[in-house]
Amino acid sequence: MNKDIRILAIETSCDETSMAIVKNGKVVESLTIATQIKTHANFGGVVPEIASRMHTESITLVLEETLKKFSGKIEDIDAIAVTYAPGLLGSLLVGIECAKTLSLVYNKPLIAVNHTMGHIYANNIEHDIVYPTLSLVVSGGHTDLLILKSEQDMEILGSTIDDSIGEVFDKVARVLGMPYPGGPNIEREALKGKDTYQLPIPMKEENFNFSFSGLKSYVINLVHNEKQRNNEIRISDLANSFQTTAVDEVIRKVELALKKTGIKNMILAGGVSANKYLREEMQKLCEKYGVTFHVPNILYCTDNAAMIGCAAYPLYRAKKFADFTLNAKSSENIKKYIEENK
Amino acid sequence: MNTLFIDTHGEMVVLALYKSERLIKKKEGTERQDHSTICMPLLVELLTEEKITIHDINDIVVVNGPGSFTGVRIGVTIAKTLAYTLKIPIRTITSLELYLENIKEENYLVLNEKNGYYVGKIEKRQISEYEYIKAKDFDNWKQEKNIAICTEINYENLITFAHQKDPLNPHIVNPFYVKKIEVENDKKS
Repeated sequence: MNKDIRILAIETSCDETSMAIVKNGKVVESLTIATQIKTHANFGGVVPEIASRMHTESITLVLEETLKKFSGKIEDIDAIAVTYAPGLLGSLLVGIECAKTLSLVYNKPLIAVNHTMGHIYANNIEHDIVYPTLSLVVSGGHTDLLILKSEQDMEILGSTIDDSIGEVFDKVARVLGMPYPGGPNIEREALKGKDTYQLPIPMKEENFNFSFSGLKSYVINLVHNEKQRNNEIRISDLANSFQTTAVDEVIRKVELALKKTGIKNMILAGGVSANKYLREEMQKLCEKYGVTFHVPNILYCTDNAAMIGCAAYPLYRAKKFADFTLNAKSSENIKKYIEENK
Repeated sequence: MNTLFIDTHGEMVVLALYKSERLIKKKEGTERQDHSTICMPLLVELLTEEKITIHDINDIVVVNGPGSFTGVRIGVTIAKTLAYTLKIPIRTITSLELYLENIKEENYLVLNEKNGYYVGKIEKRQISEYEYIKAKDFDNWKQEKNIAICTEINYENLITFAHQKDPLNPHIVNPFYVKKIEVENDKKS
């Protein structure tokens, strides 16, 4: 029998300081998430410098908490994993320097994990990812449609050519006067309203790329124009129409991919996968095509270190270790990452 | 008694090893690159050259600012993680205190920075107050003040100076920024 592999993972790419201990890329043995949402809400969005400061303040506290919840000893840990990209540079660096220090002190290999891969591998926590599978990654930084052919082989079908879906949810929420974070607030308002606003379909082309900036601009202009004319904006209805249009566009592309590839497994990943309307529509679509559909528990959809521990496991097995010159990258082409890790 | 000194507040990363408060070895980053790619490899180099491991370090002194925000965070994060995991004492000294030994009659220490100056008011050979002065306000500020500009650091007695302070709980070791960031200023006004 193979020895169990335990990875201590660190995630500080945005406004959550999180650490986890994950066994065999699957079993979450300890997880701590210190969120800064309330602080950033005062400013209407994440302030990078404040995020970095708060990570530094809480990093050893989160470590202490994570080790306290863990029934084993630090000697039982086999590797230290950390998110190095994409994200806020100053924030990523706090996690990276902490990870390097732990790697030095405990003499364990260091593993550099791409945050987006973390979102995908979060699906391994409750279900085994069955290959090949289609994967839709929707978050504040990403809108990607991928085929996962095996643990080490992936292919990007399409990505957003402008804004990510999460970004657009946050911007529209802001224009509609909702506090940060926008996504959950749009969802809440949408439940109270009806799809009565005629909004443009983002991208008519029959390929797998996404575009949301046109939809975003349309909503922003609509709100400004109505305000200037002193017309009432039905916020709940507009939230509903916006959410419906954005999500339906995503669903349309996923349907296209399911038809074209004939793949029978589908996983959803990323912060926006917490959106109930998206989850339900994906479920319906997959049922229609006889496709097995999985989405992580909401806890593992938003930023957390457990998913980083999951994504680090295949890298550990392939002995893809990082050295102490590891640096943060604010954005990294996921295609390059896939190529390098093949 | 091995003391590790970490300073990442400026353009260069500086690491030093002291034995019983005596400077044994000082290492500087050779290039003005990202501190994050330099600091930990430099630490490993220092340990290897001195034929010790990180577990032979008995206490840590870290410069917690003011200076480059990101730079200071790198040094402080490494230092507090080391102190926490190795369960060893940690002390902080400020970037201005590095220059305190050079002070004679002056009553202000001034550290130049990109767009302004960090200044420390000196009372009884200690810095009693810190302030950030924007470049455009500096000429006005310095009138009728006896100031000393920070230039040379004397590393020999640094740890003796730092050891006069009480060790801190690693959890509360944090950067000392002094300068406010834009959103904080906006919020006030």
